[in-house]
Amino acid sequence: MPEFQFEGIQDFLSMGGYAFAVWVSYAFFAVVVLWSLIQPRIERRKLLQLHKARMQREAGVNKQRIKEQN
Amino acid sequence: MWQWFYKLGSPRHFYDMTTAFLPWLYGITFFLLIVGLVWGLGFAPPDYQMGDNYRIVYIHVPSASIALGGYAMMACMAAMHMIWKIKMADIVAKAIAPVGGMFCALCLFSGSFWGKPTWGTYWVWDARITSTLILLFVYVGVAALRNAFDSENAGSKAASVLTIVGIVNLPIIHYSVNWWNTLHQVGSDLSLQAEGANPPEIWIPAFFMGFALLGIFLLAIILRSRNEILVRERRTQWVQDLLDHDLQEGLQRA
Repeated sequence: MPEFQFEGIQDFLSMGGYAFAVWVSYAFFAVVVLWSLIQPRIERRKLLQLHKARMQREAGVNKQRIKEQN
Repeated sequence: MWQWFYKLGSPRHFYDMTTAFLPWLYGITFFLLIVGLVWGLGFAPPDYQMGDNYRIVYIHVPSASIALGGYAMMACMAAMHMIWKIKMADIVAKAIAPVGGMFCALCLFSGSFWGKPTWGTYWVWDARITSTLILLFVYVGVAALRNAFDSENAGSKAASVLTIVGIVNLPIIHYSVNWWNTLHQVGSDLSLQAEGANPPEIWIPAFFMGFALLGIFLLAIILRSRNEILVRERRTQWVQDLLDHDLQEGLQRA
């Protein structure tokens, strides 16, 4: 079994003196992962909102027509 | 098998098939990602020359492979769209451009931060790095060109042509380290018998991270393609029904 290579969390965060390079790279990686998965979801929610607005508009037009007919 | 493949060319079938497939892809990807991150960052032994800085390589190499492989995939889709007029191929090509560009940026960015402690500089204009920067510009260019047209059709035609022309950059990136004297090292011999080959403690987490990044890339292009299908097919009955259904579910949850 592989062993944990660091002595405690402080040692882990210091990354053997390469903390800045390693954590900045992994932070950018996290941004790419989150953007990849969340951005399409936001887009999808917008599509649903557009659809909802269209349905309400159509329902409104239909009501107007029925009123005018009476 | 062929019928299955043929069906993927239909936006509706693509949408239905990915609906069933997505939960699995999410599960596998997150499993690989968590194991790869914990193992790569905490449990893999430090490199005898680079110390802990080499842990950046776990995201640098997969993102480079995906930037190149994703471009090849986008070019195949562009060719399929040009030759056989397959709508779905164009939808996927459109989805790849921004995602491939992001992975290409990740590759350059992580390489740059790896290079500072190792080479003493964030950036050099060597053949490998410069040609990869050009790949990023081509990705951005393809996405921008598509959006520059008012007509959807004209945009996808122009983007397809530029994508296919841009293939010329792929072998240049791949062989740059052999053709020219670059600061960037040559690719490693991946066979396990090779002299100086990495031990399993180092390459097994690399395997996990490689497939995790591939999973994230596939998730991103599938999700984007599905949105694009909903936009392009919005006048069809099945998309109207699907949106009605999703809207109702959303309202119940809210």
